[in-house]
This record gives sequence, C-alpha cells and structure tokens, in this order.
Amino acid sequence: MSSFSNMSAEEISSLLDEHGIKHGPVVDSTRNLYEKKLKEAMAKRKQAKPSPDKTFYREEEEEVTYVYRTPTKSENFMESRPYMRSKPEWTAEELEHSASYSGYSRSSEYRGRDYDELSHKMPVGAKTAPIRSGQDAPKAPKSPRLIPLWVQFLCFLAVAVFLYFVFSSMESSEPLKVIE
Amino acid sequence: MSSTSQKHKDFVAEPMGEKPVMALAGIGEVLGKRLEEKGFDKAYVVLGQFLVLKKDEELFRDWLKDTCGANAKQQGDCYGCLKEWVHGFMS
Repeated sequence: MSSFSNMSAEEISSLLDEHGIKHGPVVDSTRNLYEKKLKEAMAKRKQAKPSPDKTFYREEEEEVTYVYRTPTKSENFMESRPYMRSKPEWTAEELEHSASYSGYSRSSEYRGRDYDELSHKMPVGAKTAPIRSGQDAPKAPKSPRLIPLWVQFLCFLAVAVFLYFVFSSMESSEPLKVIE
Repeated sequence: MSSTSQKHKDFVAEPMGEKPVMALAGIGEVLGKRLEEKGFDKAYVVLGQFLVLKKDEELFRDWLKDTCGANAKQQGDCYGCLKEWVHGFMS
C-alpha cells in the first residue's frame, strides 16, 4: 500500500477521481478523510479480485456443497457439545422444571436445524467421501479433519435421537408432577 | 420527515456569529469537547469544513464520524442544521 502522506494534494485529488470518489479540495482538514477513503477504495478493489476463485468452485457442484458445509458443520458440532454436557445434568437432577423447558426450546430449534442439515447432507454425504481423496491433491491448503466426517455425522445423529426421546418422554408427564 | 429539535431551530434562526461548536444540533458536550481539541472550537469553523467538503452529506458525515465519533443520528442532526443555516443565510 502506497503511503499517502508523501503524495501531494493534486496526486490525492487525481487518485480520488480515479476511484470515482466525490471530493472537495484536498486541504489540511480534509486530507485525513480522503486518505482514509482511498484506503477503503483500494482495499475493496483487492477484495474484488479473489472472486474469480469462488466462481471456479461454483462450476463443480460437489465441491461447493463440501466447502459451504464445513463452517456450518463445525458450527453444529460446537453446539452439540453443550448438549452433551447437559445430558448428565438432566438425569442427575431428575428433569428440573426450568432447565427442562429451556432445554426443549433449544432442542426443538436444534432439531429443526438438524433435519434441514440432514436433508441437505444425505445426498451430499455419499459424494463427498470419494471426492475428498481427489480433492486433496489440487486443494492443499484445506485443513485436515481430526475426526472423520462420518464419526461427526454419527454423533450428531445420536444426540438428536437422544434429545428426541427425552422430549417425547417428557410430553407424556404433566408439569406439576415433575416439581414433586 | 423527522421533526427538528429545539436546538436546531435556535441555530438556524439567526446568524451563528461566535456561537460555540456545542450550539450545533447533534453536538453535545462530549462531541463538542472532542471537536474543540481538534481545533474546531467555534460553529463557524465546522461551517468552514462543511463548505470545504462542498456541502456533501456523505463526506461531511464521514468527516464528523472520524473527527469526533458522532453516531448516525448525531451526524444527521449536525448536517441538517448546517444545511438549513446555509440555505437561510448564504444562498
């Protein structure tokens, strides 16, 4: 990045015109503002360049779903961990009233997302496994998975099924009984 | 159209003369102090900056945000105040 402080007012003015930034005279009080605007404009131009890489991914469908799934997948996995911790809480305290209700609202949201994720993942899951070996060669910078995808998938399912069972069992009993 | 504050009405009603920068709508004590520290101690100095920025809203708002950390509402109030004053006394 070129240092703007060495440039003359005219140079800054012409740079602003190049970037299509509307401006007034470049004087002492306005210089900082215009330098900042130029930095932002240049940063935007640099950001615009990597987009062709993304279009490359778009051409190959399987890769796109694989790439886009990773952030959500790790996100879901992060969420599943607090649930796993709360499981012993429930069994130990025999379904405390407030905890159970808060757990349900979370688990119902979680389930909603769960099923969306599952419906998306089912067709993709089969494809990503054979493709991954092919992907390793061209895409070196991809971070390696510590836990294989299918293990994560299984844990995910197990937690979901468990929560569903707990939820369904709770619905049968009345709230008052639980307090007692 | 949003209604203007009493401060705005007071400012645009008469020539600004030597009014302090805190007389501007949107500029309270905190922002006023910050502007004073940067040398903008009178309303007319901010007016000068407003004019040098060619009375452009976006430029003026950006400048105000960078100089004293004004939020969107404060920026808008100050800009509107100066714009109306200029319209009344300089056109």
